[in-house]
Amino acid sequence: MMSSSFVERPRYTCALGGAMATVTALPGAIPLLHTPGGCAGNITWTQNGACGLQAGGYCGGLTVPSSNVEQKDVVFGGVDRLKEQIGNTLDVMEGELYFVLTGCVTEVIGDDVRGVVGEFQGKGVSLIFAETGGFKGNSYYGYDQVLQSLFKNFVQQGVKKIKGRVNVWGIAPYLDVFWRGNLEGLRLVLEKVGLEVNTFFTAADSLEGIRQAASAELNIVVSDIYGVNAAAVFEEVHGTPYLTTSLPVGPAATDHFLRQVEAALSLNHSQVEEIIARENHVYYQYLEPLVDSYNDFDLQRYSIVVGDGNYAPSITKYLADDLGWLPELVVITDQLEDELKERLASRFRGLESGLQPAVVYETDTSEIISHFNRHWPRNKSQKYYNSFSPAFVVGSSLDRELALALGAAHLSVSFPVANRAVLDRGYTGYRGGLHLAEDLLSAAVANR
Amino acid sequence: MSYFDGKVPPIREDRLKACITYGGTICGLKKKAGGCCFNDGERGFTQGSICLLLPGIAILNSIPDSVVLLHGAIGCGSCAHSQNANVRSGNVQRGGKVKDALWMSTALNENDVINGGETKLEEAIREADRRYRPASIIVVAGCVPGIIGDDVDGVAAKLQPQVNAKILPVHCEGFKTKIWATAYDAVYHALGRNLLEEPEEILPIIPDEIADLKEKYYLERTVNIMNVSSMGRVDELELDRLLRSLGLEVNFFPNFVHPEDIYKVTRAALSISTCPTHDDYFLKYLEEKFGIPYIARHMPIGINNTSSWIRDVAAFFGLEQQAEELIANEVAELEEALGEFKKVFQGKKVYVSAGEMRALANSSLLTELGFEVMGIRAFHHDEFAEVEYEKLTEGGAKDYPLNIANAQPFEEVNLLKRTKPDLFIGHWHSNTTAAKLGIACHVAYNTGLSYIGYQGVYEMARRLYRYLKNPAFNKKISKNIRLPYTEKWYESDPFKYIKTLGGEE
Repeated sequence: MMSSSFVERPRYTCALGGAMATVTALPGAIPLLHTPGGCAGNITWTQNGACGLQAGGYCGGLTVPSSNVEQKDVVFGGVDRLKEQIGNTLDVMEGELYFVLTGCVTEVIGDDVRGVVGEFQGKGVSLIFAETGGFKGNSYYGYDQVLQSLFKNFVQQGVKKIKGRVNVWGIAPYLDVFWRGNLEGLRLVLEKVGLEVNTFFTAADSLEGIRQAASAELNIVVSDIYGVNAAAVFEEVHGTPYLTTSLPVGPAATDHFLRQVEAALSLNHSQVEEIIARENHVYYQYLEPLVDSYNDFDLQRYSIVVGDGNYAPSITKYLADDLGWLPELVVITDQLEDELKERLASRFRGLESGLQPAVVYETDTSEIISHFNRHWPRNKSQKYYNSFSPAFVVGSSLDRELALALGAAHLSVSFPVANRAVLDRGYTGYRGGLHLAEDLLSAAVANR
Repeated sequence: MSYFDGKVPPIREDRLKACITYGGTICGLKKKAGGCCFNDGERGFTQGSICLLLPGIAILNSIPDSVVLLHGAIGCGSCAHSQNANVRSGNVQRGGKVKDALWMSTALNENDVINGGETKLEEAIREADRRYRPASIIVVAGCVPGIIGDDVDGVAAKLQPQVNAKILPVHCEGFKTKIWATAYDAVYHALGRNLLEEPEEILPIIPDEIADLKEKYYLERTVNIMNVSSMGRVDELELDRLLRSLGLEVNFFPNFVHPEDIYKVTRAALSISTCPTHDDYFLKYLEEKFGIPYIARHMPIGINNTSSWIRDVAAFFGLEQQAEELIANEVAELEEALGEFKKVFQGKKVYVSAGEMRALANSSLLTELGFEVMGIRAFHHDEFAEVEYEKLTEGGAKDYPLNIANAQPFEEVNLLKRTKPDLFIGHWHSNTTAAKLGIACHVAYNTGLSYIGYQGVYEMARRLYRYLKNPAFNKKISKNIRLPYTEKWYESDPFKYIKTLGGEE
């Protein structure tokens, strides 16, 4: 069982890591780390090993300005160094928004970052900050902190709400390795029902669009966990209500998602139903030529789903209700408070297929096999044994050893994804369901 | 008193007067040799870099049958997600089985920062011992315990009698040193203090004198080769091949060595480094404590460097003549094979970036291949590189820019705009700038690829030929992607932000 004194191979990095990735993903933004020199490198190497070959961006990796505080700053404080660094960053780095992020060291020594940033803001510089010391939380916390700061300090207040305009978040850049494709997938689906969508982090987004984000009539957070606090802050500052949903992967979940959005925005019911019908038609047209192979090649699989709080329920629902697989064990790898555990657990109740997979919360990769052994009876030298086969593990690249031990095929979806190249691929929406079917079935027939 | 008697090794700023800041030319640096830092080592503008924790755990994650317990906030050491690829392939190449690295984090939170993390660390060590039954638990301390004052060595000493695993405290508090090469000292320090004791010998009932003689003979011809973690199995095999052909035995150390085999490093006849700045701290200790002489001079990258490296080892064993025969044969064969590539490389301009020894050795190699070196960026500077600067400036060779910088791509981008090379050789995550300028790039190390020895020269040439033959990927990137620097910066002095003290430079 999970240890309380350590986390084995954490499937996230620190608050700063999430924050740096998030700022790097903002169009034209320059992160500025107020940390020792090594933090940027640790985060960058994490990305090259865990984010489907995506590391850095416009200003990421070892290009990010960093105050590189050291021993003497720990003793005397790092405020002067930060002032110097910000001033010179404005001369050297071309950006539309500069974003100071603190780390463990500068938080513990108590540098007055707010004061320094305030001085520059007074001079009309587009500069904001977030407190992202690593000991304050993991990378999802950092993602949330950056959004909160953006909503409080960058998004213009008092703008008129425009009907049909929505903001979408809940997908943390790089931590959800398929962030760009997933955000695009949501945009496509929402545009179909006539909405205008701001997704913050894709090539279609701009800082100007983000500045006008308060003109949206609704914020849609496609997560039960990530970015939810930021949505509350947004509502407080700008008066925009928010809807939290699970990450919609595949037709069953996307049908439900669109109906939730319809209800929240009082969209035209028959129009939404018409679009749902049309999108399902397209999805199943694509699936039609797969029918023979699915059935003839015996492509149904027992499955173990290992993933973060977004993917674990979403992939499970897709496997159970769209692909007709048999998810038996679901492992959620986030560290969560009981209340959030309960909220996530409810996502597994009422699957259309009637399946009731066992759901466990486990951060430690090497413990997953024990959960499986408790769940599935072992072969006690029986001639006739109902084995966990044919099997599939949908997880991260850390779950390859589990798949190997079970003789199962494997696909990395949840962070870390070391063994795939990811660019615009995404699993959200109807198209995303097709992508996921392609990737799962490709892995299943890889040795054919 | 040895450095190894202390709990923590000295930082390299103190021990070697190593520095990370210089902007000038290669001849300029040579003239100042011995003086090392010419200023206070500061910049008024800096970019992110790495700290000693990264190279530290790159080595430690490779140690089999062990767990790396990071004592720090939850992100410290998440770079292991990248290093895991090396551990997986390294294990396959050495043992035939895929095995992931096993690391964990005490994930210190706000409460621990206030109340201290020692209790959590104690529990973590006990739990790791019980759960994984490892041969060693390597406790790596990051910045947070360094600031809040956790006594990591005290915890290790207290817990040692209670657990089966050997506990190795390693100090990697990133804010304490700017020289990330201090990592090697930190790792060697931990191995040297904890794992060098020979296991008790079990005397055979019937003495076997022939076996004893055989072992003695074997050990008298055994060379420790210090295998830096950026060196893959393919490079080890090349050095193994070369020394074996002189009739020598090789013991690679410390990457991928089981904790129970670490002590074997104390039984060899000679130690040889493949990167002097990597190994000096430990080699000196092996000599002092165990009487094992060492050589730390050349990096076996490039034709002449490889030959010099072999000659040094051969001279120690009185094998000069065999070595000359080997070298003559190898070099002749290699030169012939390089012919087709050299024609393409002749007169092409190259800019080189890496750790100092590697950057300089690569520059020698590239010169041998026919390239013209336009500039060098080395991550830090210390005394070990002086011999390499000698080689590069020999016989009034052309002078060119030298930048000592712990990455700092803003200085590099400015220099690249001026020097306009055809090819850039860079460390991981250092090729991005040149790539976005449309320059053909190749990575200065990658543990899957061959770099070392004569084989390394050929394989490197083959790869450079490929990237020069079709640099379309980077060229297209440069036409569609912009770098995040102001136009004003490109026109500024590249070393504008280097602060100079004492009237130097």
